[in-house]
Amino acid sequence: MSIILVGLNHKTAPVEVRERLAFTDEACAETLQTLVDGELLSEGLIVSTCNRVEVLATTRSLNGDEGAARISSFLSEMRHLPDNFFLGHLYTHADEEAVRHVFRVASSLDSMVVGEPQVLGQVRRAYSNAVTAGTAGRVLHRLVHHALHVAKRVRSETGIGANAVSISFTAVELGRKIFGSLKGTTVLVIGAGEMAELAAQHLSSAGASRILVTNRTIETAEQLAQKIKGTALDFSSLPAHLAEADIIICSTAANEYVVTEELAREALSARQQRPAFFIDISVPRNVDPAVGELDNLFVFDVDDLEAVVASNIREREREAERAELIVESEVMQFQQALRSLDLGPTVAALRQKLEEIAQAELKRQRSRLGDLTPEQERAVEALLMSTVNKISHPIINRLRHSHDTGEEETLKAWRDTFGLEE
Amino acid sequence: MNYLLLTALVAYVNAAVHAVLAFAYKRRAVERVALMSLALGFAAHTAAFLSDWIQDGHYPLFGLREALSFLAWTLVVAYGLAHFRYQVKALGTFLMPLVAFLVTAAMLVKSSADMRAGTIAAGAAGWVFPIHTTFLIFAYAAFFVVFAASAMYLWQERELKLKTFSALFHRLPSLTTVDDIGSTAAGIGFTLLSLGIITGAILSSQQTGRIWHNDPKEIFALLTWLLYLTMIHYRIQWRGRKSALVGVAGFGLVIFTFLGTRLMGGYHVFG
Repeated sequence: MSIILVGLNHKTAPVEVRERLAFTDEACAETLQTLVDGELLSEGLIVSTCNRVEVLATTRSLNGDEGAARISSFLSEMRHLPDNFFLGHLYTHADEEAVRHVFRVASSLDSMVVGEPQVLGQVRRAYSNAVTAGTAGRVLHRLVHHALHVAKRVRSETGIGANAVSISFTAVELGRKIFGSLKGTTVLVIGAGEMAELAAQHLSSAGASRILVTNRTIETAEQLAQKIKGTALDFSSLPAHLAEADIIICSTAANEYVVTEELAREALSARQQRPAFFIDISVPRNVDPAVGELDNLFVFDVDDLEAVVASNIREREREAERAELIVESEVMQFQQALRSLDLGPTVAALRQKLEEIAQAELKRQRSRLGDLTPEQERAVEALLMSTVNKISHPIINRLRHSHDTGEEETLKAWRDTFGLEE
Repeated sequence: MNYLLLTALVAYVNAAVHAVLAFAYKRRAVERVALMSLALGFAAHTAAFLSDWIQDGHYPLFGLREALSFLAWTLVVAYGLAHFRYQVKALGTFLMPLVAFLVTAAMLVKSSADMRAGTIAAGAAGWVFPIHTTFLIFAYAAFFVVFAASAMYLWQERELKLKTFSALFHRLPSLTTVDDIGSTAAGIGFTLLSLGIITGAILSSQQTGRIWHNDPKEIFALLTWLLYLTMIHYRIQWRGRKSALVGVAGFGLVIFTFLGTRLMGGYHVFG
């Protein structure tokens, strides 16, 4: 038995190639049912996201090459694509490598944005598609469950998904750092703009209870207020309302400071020195940098936020190194579990085979024994069974040993001797 | 050898090590070990405290050894309260090592038969003496919590202003939370300190007819009291950074009050 994975991702293939190969949920099931023929490929699963298309399968043969070739030719046939269109972008992993790859994908170590949480759901969906299609078997069940376990471990034991890697989420995170919970905070949006809107929306879904919007043109303010469920304010009332806001998002096209140091100072004393957080995403800047020098006021402009994002990404990468260690130890565990998983049916088949021979012989010779008391009958049967056990016991031990040490050839020899299937 | 105290020490050291590890590696399981170990240490510590009381026949709060050990005990109580109220894990990372350190110090310091303290406790209004010391030691613990919260505040405030964040930043509670912890603990500490000073004055006037001895401990206690009084008075204008600075400075005075007088002599020197 061999596990193989054939696929491409954002690192190996451009979007033009990825989109041609992507699968919908329905297409997944159909493809799997055709691909998994029960002969060459015994199990199969397709992970298809905007960043990757991967086919995971198990083969009956010990060598995965044939299966891998089958999968890639199948892909090109079914999508009517010439081989040279995507073969160069394809990667193939077998056995331990394939297991490692699946674990890394599920743990979001192979993602474009390392640590993004969506990929786990995508793996789950791929699995449930395979289950529905009936192409997930003993090995894939185990593999996927183990991968989900690894992903959970990585998430809870490393900070891989801890810090925001987009500007608007960084704003939410910094807000949390200052105010603790955002529940009960008031957000004031000065100006309009996509980024301001996005940040306000994130803040509101993170718990901010009140959103105020102001703009030089009141209509624009009203439009935005309606969109993000806020209250529009007249621009002239800005100084009066500045003190109410805990978080101020500034995004206007003004060429001068909208929030001057004096204005901020007044607001600060009106709000009794309670901290406030200014997010200035306008260029040129709208909040006087001197505001940030006042106690309890924190000002972040676009560059600052971008620097935070960059450092968060570096932090994630550091955490990813720790995650790789977890993956490595889990791969070892899985490989070990897989070996014992694999031997079970062989042992059972061997026992059954020997027992069948003994039963058949007994049946054939039974008439020669003449009349037996039920006790004698049981004794004969027990005698046969214990002989079978005594013979099979050392063989099974030997099998287990070969299995644990990975001597595939020896295993194969035993299977051939008794005509057992893998 | 006090085996109960030794048990407490071992548990505290274990708790401290696990608290630091949990902080560094964010492992829930390690954190649980730290908390359970702390609870075990606290139980043993309480038992040691009670058995001392029974054995010596008096409230065990006179010599330096006992004061250090009791201070550690009150810190655990303070941590328990803060943990229960705010679910702040980071606090334990700073507090548990200190607790372990104080208990170690308590075990190393020679226990001296303290005649003067005994005389005071036996003298007029002697029953006030243990109340006086207990109030003050709890006040020290509260001021340590103020200090830890203020340090966390200042560290984060600095990083927010400089916009560069260390690994520590992400593991600390929010500014509002530490500010809240600091001001609550300061209020409690100030109340306890006031009560401690009042009981001390009562005791002193009963025994010597004077309420003030110009003793360094008294002077530092009064300075601490005045500092916190000012801070509480200006708590609105001084919110955030300024009150955190006071929390750190105030703790400097508290250390002088607790230990400094030992080096400078005076009425409050025992043992």
